[in-house]
Amino acid sequence: MPKKYAILPCNGLDKAQGPLSREVALAVAEETGGEIICPVLLNNSSPRYEKLLGELPLLVIDGCGTKCASKLAANLNLKVDRKVLIADEMKTSVLKPEEGLSPGPVGLEFARAVATLISEDMPEEAVEDATSLFSAPVSYATFTHEKYIFRVPQDGFFFNENDCWVRVSGNRARVGVSDYVQQNLTDMTYFEPPKVGQAVEQFDEIGTIESVKSSMDLISPVGGMVVAINNALIANPEIINEDPYENGWVAELELTDLESDRELLLDCPAYLELVKKKAAETH
Amino acid sequence: MADDTFMGVKRELIDWYPTIDYSKCNFCMECDKFCPHKVFEHRDGDPKLVVANPNNCVVFCRACAKTCDPDAITFPSKPETIAAIKKIREEGG
Repeated sequence: MPKKYAILPCNGLDKAQGPLSREVALAVAEETGGEIICPVLLNNSSPRYEKLLGELPLLVIDGCGTKCASKLAANLNLKVDRKVLIADEMKTSVLKPEEGLSPGPVGLEFARAVATLISEDMPEEAVEDATSLFSAPVSYATFTHEKYIFRVPQDGFFFNENDCWVRVSGNRARVGVSDYVQQNLTDMTYFEPPKVGQAVEQFDEIGTIESVKSSMDLISPVGGMVVAINNALIANPEIINEDPYENGWVAELELTDLESDRELLLDCPAYLELVKKKAAETH
Repeated sequence: MADDTFMGVKRELIDWYPTIDYSKCNFCMECDKFCPHKVFEHRDGDPKLVVANPNNCVVFCRACAKTCDPDAITFPSKPETIAAIKKIREEGG
């Protein structure tokens, strides 16, 4: 059964991607019975779509890297279930839409192909994650700076200076972002996981989180292969705000060379000192 | 910022910052609007956009490149940057 979305396309009028976003939105609505949200009306009068947004998951279709539709959703604190970026789809598709502001035959075929991908997309088979390996209770150190209280685990975690943590159990590890990050970014609206099976070197990007304020690529503290991702974050990215070090884990990896990676990581006390320094500089 | 280091190395010794390809840049300023660290600067004159504060750039962050529609932003190689950082650390720098 195809998923029914509330569909928010971009409204770009000065580039090919905008009209193509609209064509994708129309095709998805036709194939799945979803409803299109006018971005201009939403921007001017959001109560108009309140009921719809409460009933259906939200699909955002951005045309280009400016991501106006995503920004509009973020400004209105809307949780996003699924995102498509037409500029990226154009790079990977064998169909190359014509230049120009009105979609030509290839452009329309491209739009239908993207819509079919969206409509037919089944959620990835839930890969079993190793929750039992990471269920020991965590104790936290806290420190207060002005009105902020920051938490850092007291041990059992390592950090890189990009504020991402790793928690190891044997040859398996979980990664995520620190409390400092979730407080800076504020309310999370979207989580783009890495791919299961993806090989990651230390300091490679491993997923993206977006909030009402900004977005951040997670920088992996360790190298390895992604063996599981936290599916709960896809529907509920706010778990990262609520519980960044435990239930807010982002991905699980099978490690390649932890000993070598550890040379470049901070232990908990060292990361606590780093957060104190960062808080003093920016808050 | 006092004591500005990354992984124990003085920030100014690490080559990590965006490079703008001016043959592609359309001066939309999305990178400048996105970056919270004031790496970029919008100027009168030519070019209208420059990387004014390369050492403000967070090492290993490449987020601004994703905002760039014409793909005009590139970054150094991460493996080379990691190797350079390790070398400086070994030399005690």
